[in-house]
Amino acid sequence: MSPELTNHPLIRADGSATHTTSLFTILAAVNGPIEVQRRDELPEEAAIEVNIRPCAGIGGPRERWLESVLAALLKSVLLVHAHPRTLMQVTLQVLKEPSSGVRVRRRLGDVAVLPALVNAAFAACVDAGLPLGRTVVAGLAVVREDGDGVVVDPDEKALAGCRSVHAMGFDAQGELLLNESGGQFELRQWQDVFEVLKTTAAVAIAPTGEDEAMMNGDGTPAPWLRQALEGNAREAGAWRGVG
Amino acid sequence: MANGANQSPGLSLSRDTFAKLTPGPFLHAHLKQAQPTRPNGRLPHEFRTPTVNTGSLTHSNGSAVVRAGDTAVVCGVRAELLRASDIPHPPSEDIHPDDLVEELGLLVPNVELSTGCSPSHLPGNPPGTLAQSLSYRVWSTLLNSRILDVSTLAIRHTELQPEDEEVPDAEPRVVVKGYWVLYIDILCICLDGNASDTVWLAVMAAFRDTVLPRAWWDADQERILCSSRLAEAKSLKLNCLPVASTFAVFSTASPLKDRAEAESWVLADPDGAEEGVCEEAMTVVIAATGDGATATLLSLEKSGGSVIGEAGVAEPIEYSAP
Repeated sequence: MSPELTNHPLIRADGSATHTTSLFTILAAVNGPIEVQRRDELPEEAAIEVNIRPCAGIGGPRERWLESVLAALLKSVLLVHAHPRTLMQVTLQVLKEPSSGVRVRRRLGDVAVLPALVNAAFAACVDAGLPLGRTVVAGLAVVREDGDGVVVDPDEKALAGCRSVHAMGFDAQGELLLNESGGQFELRQWQDVFEVLKTTAAVAIAPTGEDEAMMNGDGTPAPWLRQALEGNAREAGAWRGVG
Repeated sequence: MANGANQSPGLSLSRDTFAKLTPGPFLHAHLKQAQPTRPNGRLPHEFRTPTVNTGSLTHSNGSAVVRAGDTAVVCGVRAELLRASDIPHPPSEDIHPDDLVEELGLLVPNVELSTGCSPSHLPGNPPGTLAQSLSYRVWSTLLNSRILDVSTLAIRHTELQPEDEEVPDAEPRVVVKGYWVLYIDILCICLDGNASDTVWLAVMAAFRDTVLPRAWWDADQERILCSSRLAEAKSLKLNCLPVASTFAVFSTASPLKDRAEAESWVLADPDGAEEGVCEEAMTVVIAATGDGATATLLSLEKSGGSVIGEAGVAEPIEYSAP
């Protein structure tokens, strides 16, 4: 299943997006640049605040960890120096997670949610019109219990029966911006996953040609992120008859 | 880069003032020398040598005080009993034993930074983001490594089957009557960067020091009894001894400059001042496997920038591998 992006589901947030993968649905809202509390104010750059709400209940240490990972990533993506002494506020709500029918080890499921959070947060930042230094696209892969075979974008069953889980984020130049790996793995396996996810990420933002329909016909994965971003740009420019 | 020492004498700053005013250029001035040496006197790939002191807390089952540079961490392990009859929703029989530790919550780590360990962590405050994510990372690494088998924590009892006419020689049945729950309390008493490595080292040292008293099920009193004799107490059987290593990246990259102009240095075991000016960081947790020949990675975390790529990940791993 190819990931889906819906733009601007929330009308009152500066930017918002819904992102659906085979495992998770994330609703992201971005407000910024807005006024910052004196305590968090930074003299030379914008502060970044990430709030993650889990599917049920209130957040705990797990969410704080995810927030700190995401804040560090967003700081390397957003042009924070362009808005000093302000705040970029990103709020992420998990709407759907793997059902309890298949028992996913919690600590592996925690890494699995990261790519969905990253992509949702990025799409919402684009929707909010925040100045971005680069594009980021994240992917998820697991290594099967037998130690061989990388499964990209795993379903619940693959996630439940995996040995290690890897979340990686790449920019358009194919540089590794984010890596979170958990489980038990060797360097060689990590390198395999790296190559596979790098290709997946490159495909997601590959330039679309004129023969877009023909490309998708032969089973090659669609550049879903680029399509969503181009659609976004087209909509934004529609009022002046551009595109 | 502006370096106060090159200016006219009237404007020159002392070393400490330079470090306080512009920590970034101060670190850069050190690193751009022909022999890059960090302000704390270490080479870029040099770790601080930790000192480990175990068994200093008398009322806990195991404890350790670890000090690396100016970062000092105390860890105490307290074992408490969880009776099998008190588990509200016992996990199903077919659950994998490795998952039982997570399912029952037998390992409970908690990292406390609100001890006045650094100016940014005021005493008495509720645990902040760093403290909570450290707790979470200790918890997830403990479970990822499968460091403790559930059998080391289980308290078993061999039940004699009641005399039955139909089955005269019924086999005695082994049932689990309870579990040890390990509360791992980690207090950071002084923080000068790289809390995660020191915290993890303290947990490992405390685990190696932990002894559990002999516990058995008393069928007459229907409760678990513990022996007070030290000779009967057993230390924990650890499956592996993972090591965490953190690296920070100092980079002169800026959105205002050309990408190709940027220089960057990877600094092992960053101290507080270096953490403040480094955006990108990577933490690797490695455990040596039984034969010691290959290393298993338990976690690899990297965020905040793009300097460490594929080669950048491999190099420190090979470096920290046993």
